Amino acid sequence: MKSLNILIISILSIALFAACKKEDAATPASETGQMILQFDNKVGSEELNLTESGGTVYPYKTASGQTFNITKMGYYISKIKLETEDGTVHEDEVNVSANAAEVKGYYHVLESNSSSQLITLKNIPAGKYTKVTFTIGVDEDGVQEGAAGGVLDPAEGAWFWNWNAGYIGFAIEGASPNSSQKEVVGEGWKIHEKSFALHVGGWKDVAPASGQTQKFVNNVKTLTLALDSPITVSEKLQPKAHIVVDALKVLDGVNIDFATSYAIHAPALGKPLAEQLSNAFILHHVHQ
Amino acid sequence: MPLNYKLYQAYPTLCWVCIFVLLVGCQKQREAPDNTYVFVKPANFPEPTYTFKNNPVTKEGFLLGRRLFFDPLLSKDGSVSCNNCHIQSTAFADAQQHPLSIGVENRVGIRNAPALANLAFMPEFFWDGGVTHLDFVPINAIEAAFEMDETIENVVKKLNESTVYPALFKKAFGVDKVTSPYMLQALSQFMTMMVSANSRYDKYQRGEGEQLSDDEQAGLTLFQAKCGSCHTGALFTDFSYRNNGISTTFSDEGRARISEATEDIGKFRVPSLRNVALTAPYMHNAKFRTLEEVLKHYAEGVQPSATLDASLQRNGRLGIALTSEEQRKIIVFLRTLTDNDFRSDERFQNRNEE
Ligand code: HEC
Ligand code: HEC
Repeated sequence: MKSLNILIISILSIALFAACKKEDAATPASETGQMILQFDNKVGSEELNLTESGGTVYPYKTASGQTFNITKMGYYISKIKLETEDGTVHEDEVNVSANAAEVKGYYHVLESNSSSQLITLKNIPAGKYTKVTFTIGVDEDGVQEGAAGGVLDPAEGAWFWNWNAGYIGFAIEGASPNSSQKEVVGEGWKIHEKSFALHVGGWKDVAPASGQTQKFVNNVKTLTLALDSPITVSEKLQPKAHIVVDALKVLDGVNIDFATSYAIHAPALGKPLAEQLSNAFILHHVHQ
Repeated sequence: MPLNYKLYQAYPTLCWVCIFVLLVGCQKQREAPDNTYVFVKPANFPEPTYTFKNNPVTKEGFLLGRRLFFDPLLSKDGSVSCNNCHIQSTAFADAQQHPLSIGVENRVGIRNAPALANLAFMPEFFWDGGVTHLDFVPINAIEAAFEMDETIENVVKKLNESTVYPALFKKAFGVDKVTSPYMLQALSQFMTMMVSANSRYDKYQRGEGEQLSDDEQAGLTLFQAKCGSCHTGALFTDFSYRNNGISTTFSDEGRARISEATEDIGKFRVPSLRNVALTAPYMHNAKFRTLEEVLKHYAEGVQPSATLDASLQRNGRLGIALTSEEQRKIIVFLRTLTDNDFRSDERFQNRNEE
């Protein structure tokens, strides 16, 4: 009886010790490696070269013949997933934090910043991958954690809508002789005549009540691209997937007329543009 | 048994002591609770919506948030602080002489500043619900041209250059550099602590020995029957967006600005009515100066429009059937929602010596 008591007590104490202890770090993982996603912005078949804001040279042309330049282009990429042939999915770590160093899995790819165009994915289990999935924009999970640092910090260049709180997922700005934008001058800022700004945002996913029309627009898009040939990730190999983002696919996809579509700053107006994103992001090739 | 007999005898006791120590060790320290800087959910309130797991309230964070709240450094010309439009004596609503908020260079805003209380329990903010997280609210105030007309980058720059703030951010968050998320989190720590739950009505409801007079009691019953379909629950709002008939046309489209649906034109968030006797004028556009005018509106002033709430147009009649005696009793009841502890709580006063 007594020894049973002791046994129970001992087990209990051990259990308690174990419960109190912090969880041990996961057992050393099997082999992992890295891979790079490279984003390359283009306008049709031409490389994108940014024009200085206010510039009046228009190097590009839409299918309908409107010439234009681009002064800014970029997007958020988040929630990246890799899938192997047998369907095993590796998810890039995602974390929102006020501490910039702890913000993980959100990438702000900007044409003006070439290092932002290379996303290095780390801690990928070694294996043969055939598909990459990612989200363009920042969805509800990213917004509803509250104030965040790093690429999500509006004081450090994050693209944020204040009045309809959330991040702009994709944007193209530039100018076209067809644009109806008038000059607007504020203190320390200026909107140039003939400029355009196409901002795609909106993340609320609210199913309409029965008998009601759809309210809100969720413009956050998730795409899956098949790799043209499977890539092998290992300790020694660091493959690269080259993704082309064609601005013209977005603009021609909506048959843009800069005379009427030059200031898009709300979810509903951005919806047609968002719907073209699946055509604009193209897996070009992979390097093993 | 290789064990020493005495130790063997003592072992079970020792183990129980061990377990006790361990259990205590596992638990959080239980000293006499000093809740000065702790967020406490009132017993009669719902669960908070605020993400405290990302931003737990600490004394240092709260005091930093309070300093920021009272500091005109947050505005472009150093003339306007949050406190200019959100004043404690009116439950952090705007001063009564400012129907629409007044920002830098005396620019007039488009909406009446609401009271700030119980923000930790709200799912969305502003009259149109455009902001879905408390942390993001101050960005609007700071950057709106008719409020503080400043940029968030520049506020962060000014804070980093200040002689006091970097040390305070270090103390509160352990950071060497001020960044915007920590500034916003500090403000949220201050604002989530603004819990107003000590009105006479609360004390009555929680059975803390408070009684309501016959008129107040009758007003409560009438209120629940006539107003409770929208102003419901512990916070006196269901947080929906509705058109309560204050106009036939809406230059400020309200909820439709966010939902981009025409069926939401003229709908505004059902406001909490806590401390309502202090927060005149009323409605998003400050249309009514007194509670008497508000009650009169519901009884005989409701205006028709395409999006008017169905509950305000029943049986071919606009508004809510209320005799003037019933209106009076409802107002008597609404006055029991005033929380004088909240209005005079020293924690929310501008005391930056600490
Ligand atoms: C110029 C006046 C003004 C200033 C200064 C101001 N506010 Fe406000 N505040 C308002 C108005 C007006 C609203 C309502 C806005 C709306 O609904 O569109 C508001 C709304 C809010 C809300 C949302 C309340 C709710 O119930 O939805 C919070 C929180 C808030 N303000 C906090 C602050 C903070 C923090 C600051 C300082 C950084 C600040 N305000 C500065 C006028 C002001
Ligand atoms: C159909 C839903 C609904 C009903 C029923 C209703 N209200 Fe309201 N109430 C609202 C909405 C929505 C607003 C805000 C409207 C605006 O600002 O444009 C509001 C605003 C108010 C305000 C102003 C609060 C402030 O801070 O500005 C008061 C006071 C008020 N209601 C009291 C009452 C009383 C008393 C009753 C019952 C006689 C009542 N309400 C019934 C929806 C309702």
